[in-house]
Amino acid sequence: MNASTAALLAGLVLLFPLAGSALCGLLGPVLGRRFVNLAGTLSIGAAFAVTLVIFVQVLGAASGHQSTTATLWNWLNLGPGNLNVSVDVTIDQLSVLMLLVITGVGLLIHVYSVGYMEHDPGVARFFSYMNLFIFSMALLVLAANMIILIIGWAAVALSSYLLIGFWYERESAVLAARKAFITQVIGDVALVIAAILIFVNLRAVPACPSNEKCAGLPQALHTLSLPQIFAHAGSLGAGSPLITLICILLAVGAFAKSAQFPLHTWLPDAMEGPTPVSALIHAATMVTAGVYLIARFHVLFALAPIASGMVACVGMGTAVMAGFIALSQVDIKRVIAYSTMSQIGLMIFAVGIGAYAAGMYQFLLHAFFKALLFLAAGNVIHAVHDEQDIREMGGLDSRMRVTAWCFLVGSLALAGFLFAGMFSKENLLGFGMINGPGAPTLYIVGIVVNVLTGLYAFRLYGTTFRGEPRSEAARNAHESKAVMLWPVVILAGLSALAGWILQWPVAFGPHLIDAFLNPVFTSPGGSHIAKAPGLGLGVIGFVIGLTCSLIGIGIALRIWVRHDLDPSHVLARPGFRLLPRLSFNKLYFDEIYDALLVRPTRALARGLRRVGDPVMDSWIKGVSGVATDFSSAFRTIQTGLIRDYASYMVLFVVIFTIAVMLAAGLAK
Amino acid sequence: MLSQSMFPWILLTAAFLFTLGALGVLIRRNPLVVFMCIELMLNAVNLALVGYSSYLNSEEGQVFAFMVIVVAAAEVVVGLGLLTRVFSIGRELDVDDLDEMKQ
Repeated sequence: MNASTAALLAGLVLLFPLAGSALCGLLGPVLGRRFVNLAGTLSIGAAFAVTLVIFVQVLGAASGHQSTTATLWNWLNLGPGNLNVSVDVTIDQLSVLMLLVITGVGLLIHVYSVGYMEHDPGVARFFSYMNLFIFSMALLVLAANMIILIIGWAAVALSSYLLIGFWYERESAVLAARKAFITQVIGDVALVIAAILIFVNLRAVPACPSNEKCAGLPQALHTLSLPQIFAHAGSLGAGSPLITLICILLAVGAFAKSAQFPLHTWLPDAMEGPTPVSALIHAATMVTAGVYLIARFHVLFALAPIASGMVACVGMGTAVMAGFIALSQVDIKRVIAYSTMSQIGLMIFAVGIGAYAAGMYQFLLHAFFKALLFLAAGNVIHAVHDEQDIREMGGLDSRMRVTAWCFLVGSLALAGFLFAGMFSKENLLGFGMINGPGAPTLYIVGIVVNVLTGLYAFRLYGTTFRGEPRSEAARNAHESKAVMLWPVVILAGLSALAGWILQWPVAFGPHLIDAFLNPVFTSPGGSHIAKAPGLGLGVIGFVIGLTCSLIGIGIALRIWVRHDLDPSHVLARPGFRLLPRLSFNKLYFDEIYDALLVRPTRALARGLRRVGDPVMDSWIKGVSGVATDFSSAFRTIQTGLIRDYASYMVLFVVIFTIAVMLAAGLAK
Repeated sequence: MLSQSMFPWILLTAAFLFTLGALGVLIRRNPLVVFMCIELMLNAVNLALVGYSSYLNSEEGQVFAFMVIVVAAAEVVVGLGLLTRVFSIGRELDVDDLDEMKQ
C-alpha cells in the first residue's frame, strides 16, 4: 500500500464516525429517531467496510511492506530545531486488527443500540457520543505520532465520560462518570510526561547512531513521530533509569485506561452507563487500549526489563484480584465488569512478558465474548425491567431461550472451555510458564485465575438463568426483539468459532494471529518477543489450564445450579471467614481511597477556604468597591429621558466644534 | 448659480435652522414635534451641503444631500412606527414619560 492510499483509507475510517457524530448530534434532534438510527449505524458500517478494504490490502501486501505510515497534514510546526507535529497515521497489522474489532464489534453494538435505546428520548445524543467514541478510538490506534495518540487517548476518555454519565439525571451516573474521568486524567498526565521526557531526551541526541535504520532521518529528533522514536529508542540507553521511568509512565497511562490496579476502581462504577456502552467501551475496545499502548511501544519496553516485569506483575495481580471480587458481586453488570478487569489483567500480563501476539489474540477473542456477555446481559436487564440484581432473577433460560444459549456460549468462552477463551487464555498462560519475572510464579497465579474465572462465570450463569424465578419481573420476562438478538447471536457465533478457525487444527501452539502480528513485533528497533513454549510444554499447559477451568466450572455448577455443595461451612472456618466480606466489599478499595485521598483533599480545600476567603476577598472586594462607587457616581446622569441624552449630544458637539476651531486657529 | 457673496448667508441660515431644530428637540415634549424638529435639523444640514456644493463647484455635496434625504425618510418610517406602537398600548405621547431606558 502506498502512502497516499493509506492516508485516504485511514482518513475515511476517521471521517465516517466523525461525520456520523456531527450529523446525529446536530441534526438528530430535528430529524428524529429514524434518521439517528440510520446515520448512527451506517457511519460505523461504512467505517467497517473501509477497514475491511484496509485489512485486505494489508493481507495482500508483500512481506515486509505491510506497514505504511502516511501524513494526513502538517499540524504544528514551531520552527527549525523545535517541535513538529504532523497528523500521521500508521496502517499495519496491529492497527488494522484493532480497527477490525473497533468498527466490527462496534457496528454490531450500534445495531443492538437501535433496539436498546428505542424508548430513550436522548437517542440522538447517544449515537452522537457513540460515533465520537469510535472516531476517537480509531484515531488512537491509527496515530503514528505521540501527540495525536494522546489526543485520541484523551478523546476516548471524554466519550467514555459522556456515555457513563449519559443518564445525567441520576446522581450515581454523574459521580461514576466523574470518577472515571479523573482516573483517566491521571493516565493522560502520565502519558504527557512520558512524551515530554522522550522529546527532551531525543532532541538532545547529538548524532544518529550509525546504522542503516536511521538513514535519511534528522540528526536529532524534533518530532514525536512514533517510527522515529522507535528508530532512535536505543539512544535512550537500554535499561537506563530514564527509559525505565518513561516505560513506567506509559504503563501508568495503560493501567488507568485498562482499569488495572491501583487505578481500577472506576470500571465497576462505569456500569452506570447504558449497557451497549459497557459492551463497546468498557469491555471490547477502550479498556484494551492500555494493552494496545504497551504493544505499540514494545520497542521501548524491550529496553526496560524492570518496567516490563512490573507490568506483568500488576496485570496478573489485577487478574486474580478482580476474579476474587467478581465471585460475590450481585449486580449482573458489575460481575461482568470485574471479569473484564480480570481478563484484561491477563492481557497486560502477556504484553508485560513480551508475548504481544498472545495478548492481542486474547484481546480479539475477549472482545467477542465480552461484548456478547454484556449485550446478553442487556437483554436480561430489559426483560426484567431494569433490574440488575441477580438475586432478583433466576429461571430465565426457559423464558429467553436464545439469550440464555448465547450467554452460555459466552460463559464457556470466558471460562475457557470449548470456545474462544480456551485458545487465547491457554496460549497466553503457556508463554507465562517460561517467560516473565520469576517464571513460573506468575503462571501459577494464572492457574488460580483460571479456576476463579470458571467459578464466577458459572455462578453468574447459574444464578441468572437456572433455577426458579425469584421475582415477579423475572417470572414475566420475555425474549427481546430481533434487532437486539441478532448482534448477540452473531457474537455468539464468533465466540464459538473464532478460536477454532484461527487455530485449526491444533488447539494449542501457534495461531494465525501470531503469524499475522509477529512481523510488527520483530520489526527493526529491537524485538522483545517471549519464547514460545515447546510442543510438549504447550500440551501440558493446555491440559492443566483446561482442567483448572473445568474444576472452576464444576464447582460453580454444583453450588449454584445443582445446589448439592454448600460452601458456607468452609467459609465459616476461622481462616476463611473474612473472605466473603473482602470480596463483597471489593477489598475495600473505594473506602481506602476515600480515606487516603478524597477526605484529606476535601479537608485541605475546606481549610484553605477558611484561610483564603478573608485574604482573597478583602482585596477583591476593595477593587469591586472602587468600581461600584465610580459607577454609582455616573449612574445619576442616566435619566432615561431622551431629552437629556440629546442635550449631552448637543453639548459635546458644541465643545468638540469649539475645540477643533481653537486647534485650527492655533495651528495657523 | 448663486453668487459667491451669498454663501455666508446660506451657511448662517443653515446654522439658524439647525439651532432651531436642536432647541425644539430639547424643549418640546410631543414626540411628533420632536420628529419635525429632527427633520428641520436634517434639512439644515442639507442646505449647508448644497451650499458648499455650489460654493466649491462640486457635485459631491448634492449627492450627499440625497443620501441624507433617504436616511431621513427611513428614520421617519421607523420613528412613526414606534410612535403608533406606543400610542396603541395606551401610553401618553410624551417623551418625558418614556424613560424606561433608565433601568
